[in-house]
Amino acid sequence: MRNTDEYPISTTEEREAVVATAGAAPEEDWVIVTRGLKREYDMGGEVVRALRGVDLAIRRNEYVAIMGPSGSGKSTLMNLIGCLDTPNDGEYWLNGQLVSAMSDDQLARVRNKEIGFVFQTFNLLPRATALHNVELPLVYAGVPGEERRRRAEEALERVQLGARMLHKPNELSGGQRQRVAIARALVNRPSILLADEPTGNLDSTTSEEIMKVFEELADQGQTVIMVTHEPDIAAHARRVIVLRDGVIASDDKRSAFTQKVGL
Amino acid sequence: MTMRHTDVVASALEQIRANKLRSFFTLLGIIVSVTFLVAVVAIIQGMNAYVRENLASAVIGSNAFQVRRFPIQVGLIDDEIFRRYARRPKITPSDARAVRAAIPDAQAVSLQSGWPTPTSDVVWREREQDDIPVFGVTADYQVVQDYKFSGGRPLSDLDVREKRPVAIVGADVADKLFEGVDPVGKDMRIGGSLFTVVGVVAKKGRVLGQSFDAFVMIPITQFEMMYGRRSTNTISVKMREAKDVAGAMQRAEEAMRIAHRLRPSQENDFSVETADALIAFWEQLTKVLFSVIPAVVAIGVVVGGIVIMNIMLMAVTERTREIGIRKAVGATARDIQKQFLAESIALAAMGGMIGVAVGWLFAMGIAAISPLPARVTLWSILLAVGLGAGVGVLFGVYPASRAAKLDPITALRAE
Ligand SMILES: Nc1ncnc2c1ncn2[C@@H]1O[C@H](COP(=O)(O)OP(=O)(O)OP(=O)(O)O)[C@@H](O)[C@H]1O
Ligand SMILES: [Mg+2]
Repeated sequence: MRNTDEYPISTTEEREAVVATAGAAPEEDWVIVTRGLKREYDMGGEVVRALRGVDLAIRRNEYVAIMGPSGSGKSTLMNLIGCLDTPNDGEYWLNGQLVSAMSDDQLARVRNKEIGFVFQTFNLLPRATALHNVELPLVYAGVPGEERRRRAEEALERVQLGARMLHKPNELSGGQRQRVAIARALVNRPSILLADEPTGNLDSTTSEEIMKVFEELADQGQTVIMVTHEPDIAAHARRVIVLRDGVIASDDKRSAFTQKVGL
Repeated sequence: MTMRHTDVVASALEQIRANKLRSFFTLLGIIVSVTFLVAVVAIIQGMNAYVRENLASAVIGSNAFQVRRFPIQVGLIDDEIFRRYARRPKITPSDARAVRAAIPDAQAVSLQSGWPTPTSDVVWREREQDDIPVFGVTADYQVVQDYKFSGGRPLSDLDVREKRPVAIVGADVADKLFEGVDPVGKDMRIGGSLFTVVGVVAKKGRVLGQSFDAFVMIPITQFEMMYGRRSTNTISVKMREAKDVAGAMQRAEEAMRIAHRLRPSQENDFSVETADALIAFWEQLTKVLFSVIPAVVAIGVVVGGIVIMNIMLMAVTERTREIGIRKAVGATARDIQKQFLAESIALAAMGGMIGVAVGWLFAMGIAAISPLPARVTLWSILLAVGLGAGVGVLFGVYPASRAAKLDPITALRAE
C-alpha cells in the first residue's frame, strides 16, 4: 500500500471555509459541497432523523471512504449525493450547481451525466447482456447505437471484461458483475463515482480486485466516494469520513485513520 | 438528451419478445376482435361486390327494369307502409300491354309470376324431382333473362296465347330428371298436369350457392290456371342499350298511371325499379350488419384493452426494480412513460396485425369452402391496426404514468 500522504487532499481549513457561507456557490474545484443536509423519514408519526445536518466538501480527484456504524446514515447520504433521493433541508452543490433546487428532469440529467453509481447488489438488468447494461446510461443520453456500443466496449475493456461482453449477469461471477456495474457507472464519464458498499457482497479476494479497479480510477483522476463497513477496504481511500447518528464524526487523511484503527 | 425513438421501439419489442407467451395471451382479445372485424367485413364486402356484379343483373336482367306491385325493398319496411302497398292493385296482362305500347323500341316486355315462386314435384316416367320452382312467364321473359337454349326452342307468344301445356326446363332439371335422354318432346308431369318439354335452358350456374338451373317455366296463362293469378306479377322491360333505360322507365310510369286511371294528385300504385333497387336493398341489409359489427368489435377491443392494461400494470409492479435501475442511470419520467406506452401500443398494434392476418385467412378459407365470396378491403385493415394502436394508447397511458411516477430510490429498494 502506498503512502496516502503523497496524494494531495483538501485540508480541514479549506473545507471549513467552503462550507461556512450558506447559499454561496462554491468554486469550480469543489465537486460536492453540502451544507446542513438533512433527511428525515416519517414513520407513522415517529420521525427517523437519518441525517441531522451534514456539512461536506469534496474536491475534484479525491478518493473518499465513508464509514460508520449501521444506521448512521451512510446510504442515505450516498443516495442524496447520487440524486436518487432529495433532502428535507440543506444545500447540495454539485459542480457549482444547486442540486437541491432542481426539478425531477434536471435530476435525471445529473444522474445520467455527472454521477456513476455502484450498488452493493449490482442492480444490473438481469435479462440484458453486460454490454447492454453498460450501454444503458448512453441510451438515456440519446447517444446513437454505434457510438454507444463503442463506448460501452471501451468501458468494459477498462474493467477487464472485454471477453465477457455478451454474457448476461447470471452467467457472471459476483466480481464480474460488479465490474460490469462499474463500467456502467463510468461509461458516461461522470464527474463522481459513488459506491455504496461495493464489496459488501463479495469475498475478500474479489474485493481486493474491485479495490484495484477503484485505485486505478482514482490514479487517473476520477473522483471516488465509497461507503464501506470494512476498515481494510476504507484504507484504500485517501480520505476517510466517519458518520455517527446522522452527522460527520470525523473526516481525515487515511494515515490518521489507519493509525486510529491500528491497521 | 433523451431516449432516441428507435431505442424506445427496440426496447418495447425486446420486452414483448422476452415474454412471448404472455404477450400472446395478452393480445388474444384484440386478435379475436380484429379477426372478426376483418373476416366479417371481407365477407360482407365480397357479397356486396357479388350482388353488384352478378346477382342483380342475373335477377333483373341487364339493361332492364321492372314494373312491380311492391318495391324490391318490401322486406325492410314497416307494417304501416306495407298495408299501404297491400292496397295496390295487382299487375295485369293489360298493364303489360299498355307498357309494351308505350315503349315500342323495347327489346322485350314480359309479364312473369312473382315472388313467392310456387314449387311442384316434377315427374317423368318413374323419375321424380321434388319441389322444383315453377315460373309462369310470357315469351319475352326469356329475352329479358338472356336465356340461351341448349336444346329445343323457347316458349312462344302462341304458346302463351293458346294456353298450351308446354314447358322449358333448366339445365339441372334436364340433367337429373332426364339423365342422358334429350328432354325435348318428352311429356312430364308438373304437379300432376301433363306438359310437353319444348326447350332446355343452357346452364346458368350458381349464385350464392343457389342454383339458377333448377326450374321449370310454363306459359303464364297455363300457370294462372294451375296456381291462380299471383298478386306479385311483375312486368320486365329490356332495352337494347343502357342509355335508353331511364327514358323507358318514365314512359312505363306514365303508361301505368294512365292504365290505372290515376289522377295527378294520386301517388303511383306501382313501383318502377332497376337492378339498382336490388343493390340498394342489399346494401340496406348489410348496413344493418355493419352497424352491429362495431358494437361487437368495440366490446372485444375494450375487453382486450383492459387485459392489456392489467398486464401492463402487473409488468410495472414486476419491473419496479428495473424502473429504479433505469432511473438511477438517468431515465427521465418521460423516458419511462414512453417505454411503457410504446410497449402497450406495440402489443396492441401487433394484436391488430395478427388479427388482420388471421381474419384474412379466415375470409379466404370461408370463400374457398363455401359459396360466400370474400373481399378484404384496405379500410378494414387500417381500421383494425389503428384500433389496436388506439387501444394501446388508451389503456397504456395509465400503467405507463404509474411507472413514470415511481421514485428512483423506492423503486430500487423494491424486491
Ligand atoms: N426508506 C426509509 N424509511 C424509513 N427509514 C429509513 C429509510 N431508509 C433509511 N432509514 C433509516 O435511516 C437511518 C439511516 O439509514 P441508512 O440506510 O442510511 O444507514 P446506513 O448507514 O447505510 O446503514 P447500513 O450500514 O446498515 O447500510 C436508519 O435508522 C434507517 O432505519
Ligand atoms: Mg447502507
